[in-house]
Amino acid sequence: MDYVVLLKQVPDLAEELEIDADGTGLDREWLSFVASEWDEYALEEALLLRDQGHGGTVTCLALGVETGDVDELLATCLARGADRVIKVGSFEAPPDSHTAAAAFADALAHVHYDLILTGVQAIDDLDGQVGPLLATRLDLPHVSVVTHIALAHHHTTVTVHQEYAGGIVAEFEATLPAVLGVQTSRETPRYAPVSRIRQLMKTATIEAMAGGGGAGSGLVIEAMAIPETGSTAEMISGNPQAIAERIAAILSERGIGTAVAR
Amino acid sequence: MPGRDVTREVFEGISSGGETLFYVLTAVATIIFFVGIGVRLRKYIRGRRQDVIGSPLGFVGRAARSLVDTAVNRTVAKRDPYAGVFHAAIMWGFIVLFIGTAILTVESDVIRPFAPDLSFYWGAFYLGYSLVLDVLGLVMLVGIAAMAIRRARRPRQLDYGRVDIAPATTDRGGFRTGDWIFLGWLAILGLSGFVLEGARILAHDFPDFEVFSPVGWVVAGAFRIIGLDAASAESIRYVTWWGHALTALAFVAYFPFSKAIHTLADPVNLALRSPLAGRRLPVLTASGPSPADGHLGIRDLADLTWKQLLDVDACTKCGRCHDACPAVASGAPLSPRDLILDLRQEADAAWSILAPLGEHRSDHAYGGGTAAEAEVTANGGSRLAGGLISANTLWSCTTCLACVEACPVGIEHVPTIVGMRRSLVDQAIVSPTLQAAFTSLAKQGNSFGQAGRARGRWTDDLATPIVDARREAVDWLWFVGDFASYDVRVQEATRQVARVFQAAGMDFGILYEGERNAGNDVRRAGEEGLFELLVEHNVGQLSKARFRRIVTTDPHTLNTLKFEYPDFGGDYEVWHYSQVIAALLESGDLQVSRRTNRRVTYHDPCYLARYARVTAAPRDVLAAIGAELVEMPRNGANTFCCGAGGGRVWQDDSGLAERPSEQRIREAATLAGVTDFVTACPKDLTMYTAAAKATGHDGRIEVADLIELVAAAIELPDETPPPDAEVTPTQLVAAEILPG
Repeated sequence: MDYVVLLKQVPDLAEELEIDADGTGLDREWLSFVASEWDEYALEEALLLRDQGHGGTVTCLALGVETGDVDELLATCLARGADRVIKVGSFEAPPDSHTAAAAFADALAHVHYDLILTGVQAIDDLDGQVGPLLATRLDLPHVSVVTHIALAHHHTTVTVHQEYAGGIVAEFEATLPAVLGVQTSRETPRYAPVSRIRQLMKTATIEAMAGGGGAGSGLVIEAMAIPETGSTAEMISGNPQAIAERIAAILSERGIGTAVAR
Repeated sequence: MPGRDVTREVFEGISSGGETLFYVLTAVATIIFFVGIGVRLRKYIRGRRQDVIGSPLGFVGRAARSLVDTAVNRTVAKRDPYAGVFHAAIMWGFIVLFIGTAILTVESDVIRPFAPDLSFYWGAFYLGYSLVLDVLGLVMLVGIAAMAIRRARRPRQLDYGRVDIAPATTDRGGFRTGDWIFLGWLAILGLSGFVLEGARILAHDFPDFEVFSPVGWVVAGAFRIIGLDAASAESIRYVTWWGHALTALAFVAYFPFSKAIHTLADPVNLALRSPLAGRRLPVLTASGPSPADGHLGIRDLADLTWKQLLDVDACTKCGRCHDACPAVASGAPLSPRDLILDLRQEADAAWSILAPLGEHRSDHAYGGGTAAEAEVTANGGSRLAGGLISANTLWSCTTCLACVEACPVGIEHVPTIVGMRRSLVDQAIVSPTLQAAFTSLAKQGNSFGQAGRARGRWTDDLATPIVDARREAVDWLWFVGDFASYDVRVQEATRQVARVFQAAGMDFGILYEGERNAGNDVRRAGEEGLFELLVEHNVGQLSKARFRRIVTTDPHTLNTLKFEYPDFGGDYEVWHYSQVIAALLESGDLQVSRRTNRRVTYHDPCYLARYARVTAAPRDVLAAIGAELVEMPRNGANTFCCGAGGGRVWQDDSGLAERPSEQRIREAATLAGVTDFVTACPKDLTMYTAAAKATGHDGRIEVADLIELVAAAIELPDETPPPDAEVTPTQLVAAEILPG
């Protein structure tokens, strides 16, 4: 079983985001980048499947984007236990999903895979299209928003869950190879020790492959803005004590429990 | 002058065959002794290399001091004068009796056969020798009796019950038996010697000069009173002679395999202990001796250094670390004593070394780990970190250094624990909360999950801005620290530090968003790579700033800047702010205008009192501002941890029976009339404010930072912050979720 995981970095929300002078993107001066949370779930699932009896290799692919640090992202994959990492194409800025899917498809012509996993979506575009677009290009089955990935004994099919509203769960079976958009992993993504990442940054081989070009979503960001505060919401401000008292007051006004201000 | 007849015959009444038998047995016992020592030395040779010498001159100085410490039993007597006095009695009694026996051996086996003219075992020498040995023999017996009484009462630290395993599944009876055998054997040696002496004196009908053996004389008198005659005394003497001789020879053979080995191992261990133990942790280098599979930290037995293996052998199970440890006190699954003993038992079992008598492995589930978890590694022995010693046990340590401080034989528990934590991190055995803290520290440089650029934001409310030390030269570079910068409660104290410094006309600046967490607790949580990342960043920023010396509000930061940054190219003069305030009050740069009339107690932060050994400065400050200081029972270097150190603050503490901080508040609450619980560490301020509330003492005891009392005493004018510029709800939420 050979697993391929597609990953990318997204802006770290712990930093305070500001909109740049053009008004169409984020100000990069203070931007720091972290691995996309859903992509980390995808990697964790691949590692768990490999290590829990199915064997094989885990190969991680990321686009060679200049923002952030793709090498660090891929070294972190190795530190977590991936077998092989590949940087695909070369992009000044994170491309749209169509371009990304085209680039990954180009690279995957040279990589063996049985199962392709990626995060169901990412916070920077909320597009969720890389998986479906890639599956279309490679003519593979695809399921999105999946959990509970299980492989059949002979590695011919994969069974996954999709959770619906109201506590309903659907189970799908797909023939391998397949593309999955992962919603969450069975376990918290494992920790990658910084010593290992630093060591791997110096010593590991990060392969490079060409890919991309020609595609495009046809969408353009016209303006980016911070949402205005609606008049119906009450923003509570002040010192911690004042905030706590206000929350306690609201709760008791609505008769929710007996709030005790501490 | 007493003549040549004033002496005694060494092998009196023993046939030549008997004498030969004695020498054969002596040879056998001696061989067993040295084989035993050899087996132990072989164990240490299996350890990894560790330089404990450093500069030869410094080492000689430390070794000489340790020798004096050993001679006067300073470390044994510390905080336990009873044990100190009676241990010294046993030790010196034993040493003098041993020397006496050695002198006798020289006389009877060297001088008499080869140079009889030089014989000295008679006359005045004999009298003095007899008197000294008799008195010291008695001293030893008194010591043994006193220690036996103490042991029979089973004080908490000598009850070998485990904190992490149910009593039913572990049996420490072997430990107690081994201890009693050692003590009892010494007692039998001493008592049989006096019986022998008494019988001899009675058999010889009380020669006048034998009054110089006063104890023997009294014993002889007692024999006569109970009706023994000279002939029966002689037969008692003959039997006791063999009894005493065989007991002594058997003791020689038993020595290296028993608790007795501590008499040899511990002076060495004391001499080799490092003055920077725990303060400066060893650097993990890829170029250093690393195992073939490239794992980091202490994962297996083979990863222990020879000094760490000597450490585990040095343990006498005295239990002082167990008694001092905040993890033990709060019901966490860690006892430093048990951890050390587990390592010892594992090393002995894995490497087929005869364990000390009665100390065979009896626990099947060490540290809560199961036999299956403790997988056997290629190096022999089971996996230590996360196996034999469970992850929960290792994560329970607050690195408060109380164990190292309390240990009378120089065992360095904390570096060994951190070594195993490094392996846990390497194996990715990291709890979600700790992982979140690490991730935030790597990306934002703080553990609060807040923006790195927000680090200097606490200064916004100051009337007088603080110099940016990256742009202007300053005298003092103030390294503020995470808690002082981000924690909303501590920020108030931090602003007061700034304003007091300003009031004193101090020339100081800060690095603003250039500063990152100094890494002290990151390192102690075992994340060495992240620590290096933080150090490199901070050293880079500090190298851009121009300053003469550093002051920090955080004792944890103080430790790593002072002791560890030099290994990474950052050598600075580092002060704690309490030292600076004390100096400013002393010099008159700060004037007390309203003396505090409060009755306060002072909590010594571990990293200030034990690591940096600063205990006087905060007390000087309290005295200068007129506070009446009432000490808690545990104070100074004997302080009790708040439970937040070494990365504990990033871990879940809900499983504890009672948090150390809450125990500490209750300790303070027993002091009559004390209204303020004063401390000098940002983490303490947070921990104890919470603990005072949790224990319901918040109305009675005010938790305050030293600076808050100083600000009041110098009548720092009130500076109310503008009403709108305050905490946003998201910051609050982050602070609640990630209290680290």
